Parts: sequence; C-alpha cells; structure tokens
Amino acid sequence: MTNGEGELLFVFIVLPLVVAGIMPLIGKLSKKVVPDILTNLTTFFLLAYSIIVGKQIIFSGIYTTKFSWFGEPMNISLTLDGFSLLMLVTISIVSFCVTLFSIDYMEHYGHKANYYSLLLIMIAGMNGLVLSTDLFSIYVFLEVAAIASYGLVAYGLGHNELEASFKYLMLSAVASGFIVLGISIIFACTGSLTFSEVAIGIHLVNAKYLVGFCAALFLMGFGLKAALVPFHAWLPDAHPSAPAPISAMLSGVLIKVSGAYAIIRIFLNVFGLTYALSTVLMYLGLISIFVGAIIAIGQNDMKRMLAYSSISQIGYIFIGIGTGSPLGILGGLFHILNHAVFKSLLFLNSGAIEQATGTRELDKMGGLAKQMPLTATTNAIGSLSVAGIPPFNGFWSKLLIIIALVQTQHYAFAVLAVLGSVITLWYYLIIQRNAFFGKPEEIWKNVKEAPFWMSCATVILALLCIVIGVTFPFVIKTFLVPATDILASGVSYLYNFLGY
Amino acid sequence: MASSTTLLISILLPAVFAVIVFLIPSKLRALRNAFSLIGAAIVLCLGFYLFGVKNAELNIPWLGMDINFDLRLYHLNSLIIMAVSVFLFLITIYSFVKMKEHPRAREYYTYLFLTVAFVNGAVLANNFVLMVFFWESLLVTLYGLIAIGNKEAYKTALKSFILVGFCDFCMILGIGILWYLTGSLNMPLAPLDPSSSGLAAVSCVLMLIGALGKAGVMPFHTWIPDASKDAPVTVMAFIITVIDKMLGIYLFVRISLDFFVIGMNSALSMFLMILGALTIIFALFMTFVQNNLKRMLAYQSIGEVGYMILGIGSATPVGIAGGIFYMLNQTLFKGGLFLSAGSIEHRTGTTDFDKLGGLRNKMPLTMICFVICAVACCGLWPFNGFVSEEMVMHGAKETGYIIFMIAAWIGTALTAASMLKAAHSIFWGKENKELSKIKESELLITLPIIVLALLCIVFGVHNYLPIVMFVEPIFYGYTGFLEHSGFTAHALNFFNPVAITSFVCILLGVIVYLYGWSKNSKNAASSSESVRSFPVLKNIYNLAEAKIFDIYDQGLKFLKVLGYILYYGVDRVIDFMYEKIIAGTVRVVGAILRFAHNGYYANYLAWCIGGLIIIVAVISLLS
Repeated sequence: MTNGEGELLFVFIVLPLVVAGIMPLIGKLSKKVVPDILTNLTTFFLLAYSIIVGKQIIFSGIYTTKFSWFGEPMNISLTLDGFSLLMLVTISIVSFCVTLFSIDYMEHYGHKANYYSLLLIMIAGMNGLVLSTDLFSIYVFLEVAAIASYGLVAYGLGHNELEASFKYLMLSAVASGFIVLGISIIFACTGSLTFSEVAIGIHLVNAKYLVGFCAALFLMGFGLKAALVPFHAWLPDAHPSAPAPISAMLSGVLIKVSGAYAIIRIFLNVFGLTYALSTVLMYLGLISIFVGAIIAIGQNDMKRMLAYSSISQIGYIFIGIGTGSPLGILGGLFHILNHAVFKSLLFLNSGAIEQATGTRELDKMGGLAKQMPLTATTNAIGSLSVAGIPPFNGFWSKLLIIIALVQTQHYAFAVLAVLGSVITLWYYLIIQRNAFFGKPEEIWKNVKEAPFWMSCATVILALLCIVIGVTFPFVIKTFLVPATDILASGVSYLYNFLGY
Repeated sequence: MASSTTLLISILLPAVFAVIVFLIPSKLRALRNAFSLIGAAIVLCLGFYLFGVKNAELNIPWLGMDINFDLRLYHLNSLIIMAVSVFLFLITIYSFVKMKEHPRAREYYTYLFLTVAFVNGAVLANNFVLMVFFWESLLVTLYGLIAIGNKEAYKTALKSFILVGFCDFCMILGIGILWYLTGSLNMPLAPLDPSSSGLAAVSCVLMLIGALGKAGVMPFHTWIPDASKDAPVTVMAFIITVIDKMLGIYLFVRISLDFFVIGMNSALSMFLMILGALTIIFALFMTFVQNNLKRMLAYQSIGEVGYMILGIGSATPVGIAGGIFYMLNQTLFKGGLFLSAGSIEHRTGTTDFDKLGGLRNKMPLTMICFVICAVACCGLWPFNGFVSEEMVMHGAKETGYIIFMIAAWIGTALTAASMLKAAHSIFWGKENKELSKIKESELLITLPIIVLALLCIVFGVHNYLPIVMFVEPIFYGYTGFLEHSGFTAHALNFFNPVAITSFVCILLGVIVYLYGWSKNSKNAASSSESVRSFPVLKNIYNLAEAKIFDIYDQGLKFLKVLGYILYYGVDRVIDFMYEKIIAGTVRVVGAILRFAHNGYYANYLAWCIGGLIIIVAVISLLS
C-alpha cells in the first residue's frame, strides 16, 4: 500500500464536476462546438489518465489519497486498487466513446451543454463510487450518478421519457432508502463506516442475523440499481427511453458501477462471501439470465430488446461472482468489461439506426446492411460478442464463468448458463436478420450511413471487441488478475488495509 | 559458399519471374513471352549448373524448434531440378503458340514459374517441415493450373485438390509419426525399419500414400483422366506427367532408401509390388478402351506409375534403378505424346479418335515424333522404354515372384494395342473431310516434341549414357548397390528370356488390336470393342465407367448418404425437440412474463419488496 502523493486521484471526480459546472455557462456562449470539444477532451483525458495511473498501479500496488484541509486530515480518502482500476478504465472507455457519439447524435435534441453537464456529473459520480473507501461515500456518489441519470433518461421530455424517468426515480428512491437503512444498521453495530473498520467490526460483533438482514437490504438496494430480477422492472422502461448514448452509458456502465461494483465490493471485501450470500447471488444471477433472455426474444423494439439483454448479461456477472472461486470472479469481472464494451456498442448502433430510419421497431426495418454497411458490420460484431461466439471477447468471459461453474461443481448452473447463451444468440440473430439482412424495404432506399463521429465511436468499440477477444490473455494478465486478487483474498485484504 | 547461395537462388529466381510475368499486363503479350523465355533460359542454365555442382548445403535458422531452412543438393535432386528446368524451357516455347489465345495465359505463366520454384524447394528441402511447406504450395498451383482450363475445369481442379490433398494429409501424418519416433524433423540419416514397430510401419505406409498419391497411383488416380479432359494440354504434359510423377517418385525413392529400410520380399515390398501390378493391369485395361487421345494417355501414365512402383517396390538394386530410369523415360515419351496430342488439338480442335483420321500426310513431323514416342512407350527395342522396362522386369524377377512379371507383360501387350489403336485412328484410317485443309503445327510446337523424341532414341540406343550419368550415382553411398553397378548389362542384352517374352507380348498386343480391328468393320477407333465386350471385362468396364472405382465419387456418395442419415436421424429429431419443447416453453414463459410487466408502479414495487423478503428469509435460513 502506498500513499500516492504524486497521483491525484481526486482528479477523476473533480475534473468532470468542474467541467460540468462551467458547461451551462459555456452553453450560453457557444451552442455546440465548444461543449463538444471540451467534453470530449475531458473524457479523453480521463481515459488517458486512468491508463497512466493504472500502469503504475499494476507495478506498485494500491494508491490511497487522503484529503486534507489546511493541513488537517479530513477523513475522506480515495483508494485505487486493481478492482477500482478495472472499473475506472471501463467507465473511461465507454464515456469517451459515448461523448464522441454524442457529437453528431445529440444535434437534434438541443441544449447540448446541459446534456454534457449531466453526463459529466454522472461520470464524476461513478468515478467517485469506485474510488471511495467507506459506505457513506458510496451512497453519496451513488446518488450523484443516479440523479444525473434521472435527468438524462427524461432528456427527450416526451410522455414516455418522463414516465420512465419517474418510475425509475421512484423505484430508485425505495432502493436508496433500503441502502441507507442498511448503512445505519451497520453504523450502529460497528461504529464506523470505512470498509476496513466495518469488516473488522462485523466479525467482532456477534450479530449474524442482523448482518444477514443488512446484506439482504444491500442486495435489494444495489440489486435494484444493477437490475437483478426481481428488482429489474424500471430498466426496460428507462434504458430505451433515454437518448442512445445515455442508454449505452446506463446499460454499459451505470448498472455495473452502482449495482454490481457496490455489491461485489461490499460482499466480497467487507462482509465476506458466505455460503448464504453465494447461493443467493447465484440464484439471482440464474433467474436474471433467463427472465431477461426470454422476455428479450418477444420484443419488437430494438432498444427494449437490448435492455432486457442487459438484465440477462448482468445475471452472468453475478453467477460468476457468486461461485466465489478466483476463476469465477475473474470471469465475472471480465464479463463486466466485455459487456460494457459490446452493450454500449449495440446501444450506440441502435441510436444510429433510429436516427437514420426514425424507428426502433424491428419489423419495420429490413435490408439496412446495404445502406449502412459499417453499422451492420459493427452490430454483427457486437451481437456475436454478446452471444459468446469465439474469438470475440464475450466468448472468453462466458467460457471462464462456465468453467468456474464446472470447477465448483455447479453442473446444472453450467448447463443452464450455456443454454442462456444460446437464447442470447437467438434474439441477436433476430435483430441482425430483421434490421440488416433480409429483403431491402423500399422506404429505406435513401437511408444513409451514420455520420462520421458516430461511426467512429462504434468502430472503436467494435475493434475493442475483437482486440480484447484476440488478446484476452494479455487483458486478463494486466487488468483482471490484479482485480481478482483483491476480491479473491476476501476480507483479509481489508485486514491488511490501512495497517490493520 | 557460392554454390550454397545458388540453392536459394534456384528457388527464388523462378518465383521472381512468376511475379514479373504476373505484373505484366495481359495485352503486352510479346513482353510477357520475352520475360518467360529469359526466365526459362536462366532456370535452364541454373539447372545444368546445379547438376554440375552436385553437392551443396545451405542452412539458415528459420522457425526455431529444430526447424531450419535447410537445403541440401545431391545427385538425385539435382537430376530432378535439371530435368524440370529442361521441361520448363520446352513447355515455355510450346506455350507461346499453344496458349497464345488463352484468356488466362498470364496466370498460366505465373503458375508455371511458381510451380518450378516450389518443386525446387520441395526436392532441395532437407527438413520435413520445409518440404511439406513447398509440397503443399504445389497443391495450390496445381489447383490453379487445372482451373484455368475450360468451363468445367474448376470441378476437376477441386477433385484433384481434394484427392491430392488427402494424400498430402496422409504424408504429413506419416511425417508426424516419424517425428515422434525419431525426435527430429531433419531428414533422418539412419533409416528406420518399418517392421521394427507398428508405428514405424504406419508412418511408412502413410508417407508412401503421400508420395504415390502425388504420382497418381490407384485408387487416388481418378482426377488425372478428368484433368486430361478439362485442363490445358500443356498442364497435363508438364505438371501432371512430369512434375507430379517426378516428385512422387522422388519421395518414394527417398522413403525406400533414406527414411525406411524396405527389404526385398518384406511385407511392405510385397504390398508395393501388388499395388504396382494392380495399377498396371487396371489402368492399362482402361487405356485400351478410351476413345480420346488425351484421356488414353492419362490412363496410360497411371499404368506407367505402376511400373515404377513395381520396380522400386521390388527393393532390388536393378529394380530401383529401373524404376528411376523408367520415371525419366516416362517423362520423355509421355511428355512427347501429350505435346503431340496438343499439336493435333491445336490444328484440328479435337483429340477424339472417331473425328480424326489420315493426318499422316498433313502433320508429318507430329506423326513421326508421335510414333517414336509411342514405340518407346511400348518398350520396343532399341528405344528407351525398352531398357527401363527390362530393368523393372528383372527387378521383379529377382524377387522370385513370376506373377508380377506376368502383370507387367499383360501391361506391355495392352500398351502396344492401345498405341497402335491411337496411331492408326489418328494418322492412318479414313480421312475426315472436315480436316482436309490441316497443316503441320508451327515450329515452336513441333520443336519441343522433336527434342523429346530424339532424346527417346538417344536414351535407348546409348542407354549407358543416362544410366551411368543419371541413375547410377544415386546409389553412391548406399551399401549393397555398388556391386550391381553393371545395370546396363541387363538392359543391353536383347537376347534374354525376359526381353524376348516382352517382345512376344508386344506382338500379342498387335494381334489383339488387329483382331479387334478386323472384327469391328476395320474401324480403328472402335477396335477395342471386342475387348470391351469380353464377358467378365465387360462388367468391370461398365462399373469403372459408372465411376464405381472412383474413391472421390464414392466418398461424395458416402457423405451424401451420411448427410441424409444425420439430417433425418439426428438433426430433424433435435429440431423437433427444439421446436416443440424449448421454443414452445420459451414462448409460453415469455408471454406470461410480458403479461406481468404491465407497467404499474405498484406492481413493480411489490416485486421488489417480495424479493427482499425472500432474500432475507433465504439468508437467515442458510446462515
């Protein structure tokens, strides 16, 4: 553990917040160009900086930054370890591609500056969430990201958007309530909220059932953010209603950061993965896989189908983490990264199609591959990745998860996970066939390929699908093994943390 | 040092010319011809130079893992490189006229030079991986060369690709086993005894399949007659009768001398001789009934592979020497015959016997060369075919099994009958009215044929020349061969029982032909009908023409049946289960779930709370 004087971890939170703050003012002066450039520069800087910092993390361990105010320590500290780094890089990649995509896509929504402002707040919230070291900070940053996302879901201001946003807000509020309740109980028991002290406190206090109750509250609260079945109902309304880049952001990273990350961090590092928690996680994962996949098949709205697919894929992450074996955790984390890449790619593509044709209904599309060859290709790559076809990235993470299931002797889970993957392929083939292949419809004769920056973003993500898939041993070695080490060492990681 | 870099040049140079020829636009035909001629001439000089060098080695580190770019020149491969360079030169000249109007001539020349580059690499390679690399590259050029033929050629190209590819696969498998046994991928110095272990025998047989399949042995021969119909005749003459035979026999000789010990009268030797004898009989019986010159020559070349296998497979010094010499002679007379067929096709547009006739006055040069090559092919004294055939027969005789000689004699008779039939129906016989204005082919076409025909005579009359220069040095360094250095003694002597019997067999062939000719209304083209309708033979011929013996066709049929069974036995059943059970369940469950997602907030909230209660219950119960 190192106290990183040279590494300014708070930049990840402060920079997007500051840019978000000045953005509305800039919006008064320049409607489009300056916000575009400034936002993209910010996200690009965050991406580059996360990689630079990450390189040092990989070589020298964990960084902690403590805030001080005129020399007085403020008891707020940020920590960057392998797991946080993985999430940070994932957030940065997706947010960079999303802002790139927004340059062209958000033209017709108007008020670009406000949009960017909200987006940056969301990014700041997520960055803060993955860097924070205590339960309360997690809650605060969770709310920061969530409130920005309510605004962004409602950004179109249509009837559906507002309804979806309201439903999302109301269900999230319930979740937040339960999370706060859980945090208060924990505080009451242990007298502290930092991970390390809570971890020790829980083991000192003999309150098994109370801790179990808190775990259930967290599982419900964060599970709702992660859209685990049965807490998923807000997602199929909220994600399709948002503008496509925001859908990409929500499905690609937000549900993982505010849901999956929090659950994994708290359950694996703070509470310790007990048999009960492991079982619950695996069953929730399995149910999510099938409910998400089966409903996805029947959808006609492309974005809604993708949203259900997100529920299904989140299930894979949890089933992998739930095994508790290092390989399963590795697979789950790898799937977080991969799902972020290909799901944001697919949502961005859905946006490109919607902008080109004006519809999201699959049965109205047809034969777009001829007019939109680039989008068709990247979409095919994304679809094959999500369905787990080698050599794309999704295949390897699913394979690792399934191998882990077999190793931990959950044979039925392994078979069902494969079956879920087949169903996934099924509905992605439906998208591919209905939208891109098949008979070219007369009305889409004048449809054009997506504009430059939109194509640029999707091509980057599609290339990432291939590159991660082909060089997966490298990716696993550099990014995932450090993250897995921290999680697989369980609570003992925190015993060593901060000198305990 | 200088000579070792020449080895690399001998591979690179033809490849460079292939690229140059490919880059020259199709319209600049003269330029292309000039470059091809220069290239062929340089390759020719290089071939003679390397034959003079005899011994050279080049070793460059390559892939690691004991796999080096290891080239070794010695007598046998320098002989092949020289022969190929001579043929390349002749074929290049020939193609200037013959391939003039061909729309894909540019590709043709490219493939031609590439093939030579790969052949040089394959025979020079002293490492198995390197050899396989060049050997497989040849498969590609073979495909390309056949495919530039007529419209149907791509099918034949595919067929040859698959059949030869299968043989190559066997060879690679054999090499893999050999690697496992010896632990080295460099060409082994100490030959293995195939009877020492089962694996060694399997490895030997697999590599033999690779070598002999390339040469076109039964049952991997069926693409050759098809190719004779579809591929350009120059490709047939150069690639299929010269290069493939040379390479196949080269590897066969390497296997039987360097890689494995094949003893006389060992099981493997018997197997090879039986294979050779069967190939002779079957292929030459098929030869006799063909009604197209090119197809007839194709079958005949398969039969001749049988002679070579019989000779080398006998594992006697004289037999092996005879087999190799037979290979050299076969390239001369069969190359000459194919080029004559090309000359006839060039002028008349056909090689069908019943459409030709009476060309002896119109194409005298072609006629004379054809007859010389044909007579050499029959093995008539004093032409080259006689010498090598006698050597093969003496080899077979030394093993003590007369039956193989009988097979060879039957083959001799059939060859004589078919050559007589061909010559008679094309150059004599009734003149076709449509062909009354035919003239002799251009000099560039006749010249290569004349060269080959002259070589047939020289190699026959002065047979000690090729035997002492080309064949005998192959055995330097191998024990048990030098005491037999008087190979020529067998060959020169016409007055020995074997040679006289052969002569009688040729006469017998003539009689069979004449009998058929007179029986079938003195029509040369249908003279084989008597043999064709002979009781037992008739059935076999019918089966053969229905492609019953074609393993490619049979393989395709088998795959079709297998596909049918799998489709109805497995696929449809699974599909039914899938349709009814999985898809049905998914549909029903999906409908229920969609119904549940009705958009009511209270509903969703209730799920959340319900889920929370269940989770609390489960955690409490389990912990």
